[in-house]
Formats: sequence, structure tokens, C-alpha cells
Amino acid sequence: MANEEEVKDGLQGPEKKQEVPAGWKANILAFACHYCAFAAADFAGVLRLSYPTNVKVIRLPCTGKLDQIYLLRAFERGVDGVFVAG
Amino acid sequence: MIRMTPQHGNDDTIGSVLVVGAGIGGMQAALDLANSGFLVHLICDEPSIGGTMSRLDKTFPTGDCAMCMISPRMVESSRHANIKLHTLAAVLSIEGHEGNFVARINQRARYVDAEKCTGCGACEAQCPSKVFDSFNQGLNKRRAIYVLFPQAVPNTRAIDPKACLYLTKNVCRKCEKACEAGAINFADTDQEIELKVGAVILSPGLATYPPEIRREFGFGQYKNVLTALQFERMLSASGPCRGKVARPSDGAHPKRLAWIQCVGSRNAHNANPWCSSVCCMYAAKQSIIAKEHDPDVQSTVFYMELRAFGKDFDKYVEKAKTDAGAIYKRVMVSEVVEDPATGNLFIHFVGDDGKLRNQEFDMVILSIGFEPREDARSFSQIFGISADEYGFAETSKLRPVETSRKGIYVAGTYQGPKDIPETVIQGSGAAAKAMALLGSQRGTEVTEFELSEERDVTGEEPRIGVIVCHCGTNIAGTVDVEKVAKVVAGEPGVAHSETIVYACAPDGQQRIRDLIEEKRLNRVVVASCTPRTHGPLFMDTIREVGLNKFLFELADIREQCSWCHMNDKENATSKAIEIVTMNVAKTRKLLPVTTASVGVEHTALVVGGGIAGMNASLSLAAQGYGVHLVERRRGLGGLLNNVYSTIDGADVQGYLAEVIRKVKANSAITLHLDTTVTAIDGFVGNFETTLASGTGFSHGAVLIASGGIEYEAEEYGYEDSDRVLTQRQLELELHNNGPEKDATYVMIQCVGSREEPDNYCSRICCQDALKNAISIKERCPDARVFVLYRDMRSYGLKEAYYRQARDLGVLFFLYTSELKPQTEITGDKIKVTFLATVLGKDMVIDADYLVLSTGLRPQPDRDELAKKFKLTCNIDGFFLEAHVKLRPVDFPVEGFFLAGLAHAPKNLEETISQSLAAAGRVGALLSNEKLDVSGVIAKHNRDICMSCLACVKKCPFGAPFIDDDGRVSHNEVKCTGCGICAGVCPAKAYQVNYFRDDQLLAMIDSVTDN
Repeated sequence: MANEEEVKDGLQGPEKKQEVPAGWKANILAFACHYCAFAAADFAGVLRLSYPTNVKVIRLPCTGKLDQIYLLRAFERGVDGVFVAG
Repeated sequence: MIRMTPQHGNDDTIGSVLVVGAGIGGMQAALDLANSGFLVHLICDEPSIGGTMSRLDKTFPTGDCAMCMISPRMVESSRHANIKLHTLAAVLSIEGHEGNFVARINQRARYVDAEKCTGCGACEAQCPSKVFDSFNQGLNKRRAIYVLFPQAVPNTRAIDPKACLYLTKNVCRKCEKACEAGAINFADTDQEIELKVGAVILSPGLATYPPEIRREFGFGQYKNVLTALQFERMLSASGPCRGKVARPSDGAHPKRLAWIQCVGSRNAHNANPWCSSVCCMYAAKQSIIAKEHDPDVQSTVFYMELRAFGKDFDKYVEKAKTDAGAIYKRVMVSEVVEDPATGNLFIHFVGDDGKLRNQEFDMVILSIGFEPREDARSFSQIFGISADEYGFAETSKLRPVETSRKGIYVAGTYQGPKDIPETVIQGSGAAAKAMALLGSQRGTEVTEFELSEERDVTGEEPRIGVIVCHCGTNIAGTVDVEKVAKVVAGEPGVAHSETIVYACAPDGQQRIRDLIEEKRLNRVVVASCTPRTHGPLFMDTIREVGLNKFLFELADIREQCSWCHMNDKENATSKAIEIVTMNVAKTRKLLPVTTASVGVEHTALVVGGGIAGMNASLSLAAQGYGVHLVERRRGLGGLLNNVYSTIDGADVQGYLAEVIRKVKANSAITLHLDTTVTAIDGFVGNFETTLASGTGFSHGAVLIASGGIEYEAEEYGYEDSDRVLTQRQLELELHNNGPEKDATYVMIQCVGSREEPDNYCSRICCQDALKNAISIKERCPDARVFVLYRDMRSYGLKEAYYRQARDLGVLFFLYTSELKPQTEITGDKIKVTFLATVLGKDMVIDADYLVLSTGLRPQPDRDELAKKFKLTCNIDGFFLEAHVKLRPVDFPVEGFFLAGLAHAPKNLEETISQSLAAAGRVGALLSNEKLDVSGVIAKHNRDICMSCLACVKKCPFGAPFIDDDGRVSHNEVKCTGCGICAGVCPAKAYQVNYFRDDQLLAMIDSVTDN
């Protein structure tokens, strides 16, 4: 049986500061509305604005189409962040 | 599609139109007419359509590549069932009268059979004869057998008979041997054909000034002096230099670039007297793009006057100055001298301090202007129309698209120098005139075109074709497209993958169609640009060979990858692979979608009874549609009630009275005065509107012509003295009482314009000042008129009035926004003090009248209007059109259109053109008997629906409703496919077509699969 300290450590797990491995990059998934945020992402390209390559955009007809399942599935499969814009 | 065909009149008018010139203006006119049920003969004297715009690299302000924008239009023009293309053709004669013309056309021999030619180019490689490539402005050479440019439409080669060895010397025939398709036909001859048409639209385009005339600039003598059009071709990814900016003398990348403005313009001695209207803006654009190509570039623009008069133009020039670091020098260049050792160029000019300067540059670009084509004189004679003294088609300020011969209209630069959106506007405007003239014959000459039956793909395993587009260098310059194609080839379901240089060009489209058939593909993924603009084009392409439109997905690897990650090529390539793979995953799950259609109410709502709204209403009524014209004031006419004459002296009040009389007399126009729109419901083709007066009606389209207001000045003591007037008040005074004898008038330009908080050019004030100044001096030569200005923006042919004013003795003095004129009012005199820069000293004028050139403002309540109609305004409060270049009178929301001052400040002539254009666009929509509903809608499964009403409560469009049986049903016509219902439904009874849960989850799974 684990002692109390170990249990406490375990409980603290999610909040415990983890070492960030060198060269690690967050894998980010964006859900964007076809009419506004997806258009904005296009516009960023038109303006040649630069941002990191580790964000991928999934086009929705509207952010109203966003379903809890999508968010849960994304986190379940290990994305580091989800960005919803619309 | 069935067209609305009105009662046929008993007249002899013919429901077809001849459009002469297939640049962007001609294509716009042709497409509008073809889409509203007229047969169009589109004549083009080159082997490909496209005109001047196809020669441009990019367009401002978005930096979109011109080819990417014009290519879909070219493809649409060539594929439209109601457009007959005649390339290498010219009109020989035209006889008959308005409504019934007979045109004789000379169709030159192409010597290549378009039916057989595959566009492979094997012939070209064998051709020994080389000539200067006129399309690329002589930067390279082409063969005698050639294609005008890689994305040419039709994509068939042609033989230049003047350069071909066989046709000139009877030897060679190498191309014939090289052509496996047997498409070469040396026996081809010129042919004469006869066409019967009801109206004619002339849009032959322009020529550019030959800069070798100005020998002091060294064009033709010094290799590194280029024209702006040559530089444009140099920048172009599909141009002769593949987008690399290199000096012709040594191939080095130039770092110090100079533009010399007004070469061939604004100079009556050895050039053209008019202003070419577009050079200021293209120089700004080129300096920005040059900086994008090479961050070390330093641009300098030598200019006389900065004419950034259009919507958001000043902001773009500011961007050139701040973001691209372009230096603007307001000086006249005396000469350009080459250093023979280095090929560098020295520009001689007089600096601000009056001393001679000598600045060294690596390359000099001459901003050459427009002029009428060489054949403009004979062209006008063939059509029997009057030309002005310069050779442009003569029109009146009140009838800007009508030539002197009835039934013959004009659009674009043949009517005077103008830019792309104004050309497009005139194209639609001229089309509207033809639609009104031939309204009774709509639908009589066209053939209904039917698509082949869709292939049934149910039960088939996915066989996906992946096309990765280079987009010239736009994508391929950053992303390793070959690698992307190779990697995704290994994905499950992918039957084929390859790269294409331009997927959207006709040859690319043909390749996609061929691949579908060759490889038996049942789904297609194109990896190129944004689905927002190019999706529909590719969907139509796959539908043509029998695939359902929705078995297609566009992976955006340009806007959302290559353009954002230019400095990180390796990761950009990995990201592109992920994006394409993700879309392939979705595509495996795609299902065919069937689309429904709805009827169209053939009536328009026009908001605003000013000249724009009235003109559009009259045009729509003449085309055969009903109009509800809503004006919130008691009277019609809007701001035009305060205008008495145009700059060329035409009687505006007489014109206005006549238009108002016609509107009131027209039984198709229902006037709703002294009221406003309170609510609007519905969708394109089927709107329901309620007015404050309580009246309600249904209509198929909305035209916003809500106008603007005049700025009420607070500056320069306007409120303190009745001797301080606005230009409009002066106009009234001159109209009623004439100028005061021997009086001194001082005009100050840009009052309340071009500075915060209204930092835009009001466009009309310079013209108004010239109009009033000329009126004063002509009637009272002893009166003194001074104009204090920042830039005299007498663009286009209005330059003549600037010259006339100077000749009449009007004095012009420059001031800057930092150092404004000072005024002091004492009794009847106004002391105006300003720094005369040429003298370097303060000047004082004792004026009798101070005239303020106050600009235009948007309607103060435009936000309310915008909210009501769900539209957006730009930062200055003017309504935002769908696309600043190619859709200048459309809103992004379907069924909504725009004209007049609500769009941006503009003069009467431009407002009339735009109102006609909007009427043409509205007419093309209302001509439809039925409209296809978007396939992207929610599908409701009643079998699993529990009628919990979550969807009924949340849907913003009222599509789900409680049906007669007490359970929820779904009205798919109202559905916009937003998917809110699908998100809130606990039973998952809704799935949105094309965005089904399994399709989106497949994307998520794909992108997290590592």
C-alpha cells in the first residue's frame, strides 16, 4: 500500500509541474466556422502572417455544428489544445 | 434550368448579344447576359480570352494572384452553354438597328484543330521559328506555334502565320510531324460568318503607352529600365522569369528599385493628356510585392500627384509606405542615365531644396499609362459610333455605358481609363442595358443545357484521386508538392495522386476530368487553395463527368499552409501532408448529396430612392421585373437634389426631374415613400419584407442603395460666416446668381477627408472644385480663384478639366496635412495664410469667399441598416462588397446587391454605372424560374427524433417546426446548414450533409494519428 505522501503526489498529478522535453511542440486542433474564422485563417495567409505549423484547421459549416464528441475525441487521442473560433 | 420568359413582343428584336472583347469587362457582361437567358457571342481578337488582367501578377489589396481570380471566370465563360466563343476574330461590319443587328465577323485561321489538340505542347518544342512574346511584353521569345499563356482559354495552340516558316516560306512542317493527335491543319483558312444579334457591347480594352518616345527615361536603350507591365510579368510565377526578379542585364537580384510615375500620361506634348487612373495604385502594389519577393528591396516611387482616390486606396498606399518601406518622392524626374560598367541607373531630379540630385538604382520601372488601341479609330467607324478627340468611345456623364448609336453599349477602358472593379461594373451595367432592351426576347435564343446523369457510386469501395496543386510558386515555392503527392498515395482508399501546376486552369480541370474516367475514381481531393473560393469550380468539374458534387473535398494548403509558413519549408510540407491526409480521411466517408430547388419571386426590393435606387429600379422594370422602391424621405432624388450640373455642363436637375417622372409613371415600380424597412425574413429568391407603414410584400432580391450624406464642416470658421461655403453651396450660388464680379475665391480641398477620424478620400471634391472654379472663371475672367490642395485627384479623362482650369488662370497651391492653411475672418474678408512650398514663404490671400471641399460620409444609421439586413461595413462605414475586384456590386450574402454612395464615395457618372450594374446582377438572379438550394443542410431523422424541441428553440432560422401531428419536422428550404440543431440534439437525429459526424471524426482521428 502506498504511503500517504505517494497518494498525495498521485493526486497532485495533473497539477504537478512536468518537465517540458526539449523541442516539444503542442499539437493544436482548430475548429473554424466556414464563414468567419476559416475565412480569417485564409486572410492570415493572404496577409502572409506567419504562425507555427503545429495547428491544423477543421472546417465546420458554423461553430454551432461543434459537438462535444469532437472535443472529447480530440483530447482522448492526445491533442494538446483545441481552439474553437467562429 | 428554366428561365423566366416574359410575354414575347411582336417586335423584331433578337434575344442575343454580341460582346466584342473578352477581357474581364467583356466576360462579366457575357456571363451576366448568359445567366439571364440571352445567347452571347463573345468575340476576342487574341487566341485566348482573358485580356489585360490575365497579364497581371497579383491584384491589390488582397495580394490574390490575378490568374487565380480570372481563371475561374475564363473557364466559366468558355463552358457556359449560352456563350459562343469566337477567338482570333474581329467584327468587319455591323448593320441594322437597335434590337436587330447583323454583324459580319472575320474568323482568322488558327491552323490547329481545337477539337483534336490535347494541349500537350509537343509541337512547340519542334518549332524553329522564334518571335518576341507579346504576352510577356517581349521579355522572352515564343515559337510560331504557341499558346498565349499557360492557362489560356481555349487551351489550344495557334500558329502565328507571320512567323511560321511553312506559311511564309513553304518549308518546315515540323509541328505537323510532332503532333500525334493530327491537330495541325495548314489548310485552315480565314472564315467569314454572319451573326444576328439584338445588342452589341464593346469592351475591346486598351493599349499601353510606348515609353521609348520619352527617350530621357532610357527605355529600349538601357536594359534595366522596364515597363510596369514587364515588371508585372517578371513577378508572375507563370511568367517568363518564373517569378524571379532578375535584372535583364546580368540576372542579378535588384535591391534598389525605382518607379517613375505618369510616363505617357498627363502630358499633352509628347504623351497623352489624360491621367491613366491606375498607375499610382499598381506602383504601390508592385512595391509591396517586390518586398515580399525579397525583403532587402528598397523601393522609391517618383510621383507628381498621388491619386489614391478609390475605396480604401489611401490605406493601401500607407501600407506600401509603412509595411513595405516604400519611399515616395514628389518630384519630376529629368532623366535616367546608365552607368555602362555596372548597368545601374542614375535618376536625375530636383530635390525639395531645389538642388539637383542624382540617385543610383539597380532597376527602374516606368509606370506607363493607358491609351486607346491602335485600331480605335477604325474600330469606332466599323460600329458607327462617335469617338472623342483621343479615340475613346464617346459617352455622356449621364449615360456612361451608351455609345452614340442606339443598341451599342460600351464597357471598360475603351470608355476611358479605369481599374478592374470599374470595368467589371461597366460590364454588368452594359449587360443591364442590353437586358432592358431585349427583355421581351429573354430565353428565345438559348438552349437549355442538361447535365449527364450522375454515376451511382453506392456500394463501391472509395477510389480517391488526389491532385496537389503547385499554384505556380504560391504553394510549390514553400511546400514540396511532389512529396505530398507521394506520401498521400499510400493512404487507404487513394487510387491515384499527382501534382498539377494550376489545378484551376482549364488544362488542370481537364486533367481532373480525364483522371476520373481513366482511373475510375469515385471521389476527388484537390489540395490547393481555399474551398471558399475554388470549391464550387472543382465541384462543377467533377459533376460534368458524372460524379456527385459532394464527392469532393478541397484541402487548403495555400492560404492555411504555404502562405503562412514561407520561412519553414520542411514543417510546411509536413503540415501540408497532414492537411491532405485529414481531408482524404473525410473523403473516404463522403456520401452523394441531392439538392432541391425553390421558386423565385421575380420582384426586387430597392432600398433608397436616390439616383442609384431610381436608375436601378427603371432598369429592372424595363427588364420585366417588379420593383418595390423604399425611400425614407417624402421626396425622391437624394443628394442629387443639390447638384445642378456635371463637370461637362450637362443639366443635372433636368435629368433628375425626368428620372423621377419615369419612376413615378412606371407601373412596375411600387413607390413606398416616407417609410423604412422594419423587418425582412426569408432567403434568396423568396424574401418577405415589412415596412414601418405596415405594408408587406415578397421579393426575390434586395438592392441596397441607401446613399450617403455630405459632411457638415466645423473647420475654417464655416459656422461663423456666410462667406465660408461648401462646394455644394457655391454651386447653388453660381447656378442662381453667377459668380461675383472681381471677387477672390479660395478653395480648400480635403476638408474633413483623408485624416482621422475620416481617413479616406471622398473622391468627388477635386472634380467639384474644378467644376466650380471653371464655372467662375469662364463667366467672370476677372475673378480670382485659388485652390489649396493636397493632391489634385482629377483622375482619368477629368485631367482635361484640371488643365482647363489652369489655362483659365485658376491658381493651385499645395498644402500638407501637417501644415494646413490658416484663416482669419474679418467682416466680409477672409485672410487665408499658407506656406507656398515652391516659394518657401508664407502667402496671404484676402478672400471674399472661402469654399470648403467637404467630402461624403456614410449614412449615420448604417450600422442599424447593416444589422437589419445582416451585412457588414468597412472601417469607414461603407458597405463591404463580396469581392473588391470581381464582385463589386454583390454582397457576400446571396440575393443582396449594392450600388451608389452606400458602397463608397463616387461621382454621378460612376453612381449611374454602378446602379445599372446592380440592376444587371439583380436581373440575372430574378430571371431564374428556380434556384438550387445548397446541398449543405441538416437532414432530420424523424424515426429517432424525440421531439424534445431543443432544435426548435435554438435554430436561428426557424427551420425546425412543430408539425400538424405534434412532432418536430424540418423545413429544409429555410435551413442554412449551420448545424446548431445537430449540436444540441440529444438523440443525434440531425446530420448535416457534407459535415456528418463520422466525416468530422475521421478528420480528428487522422490528424491525431501519431
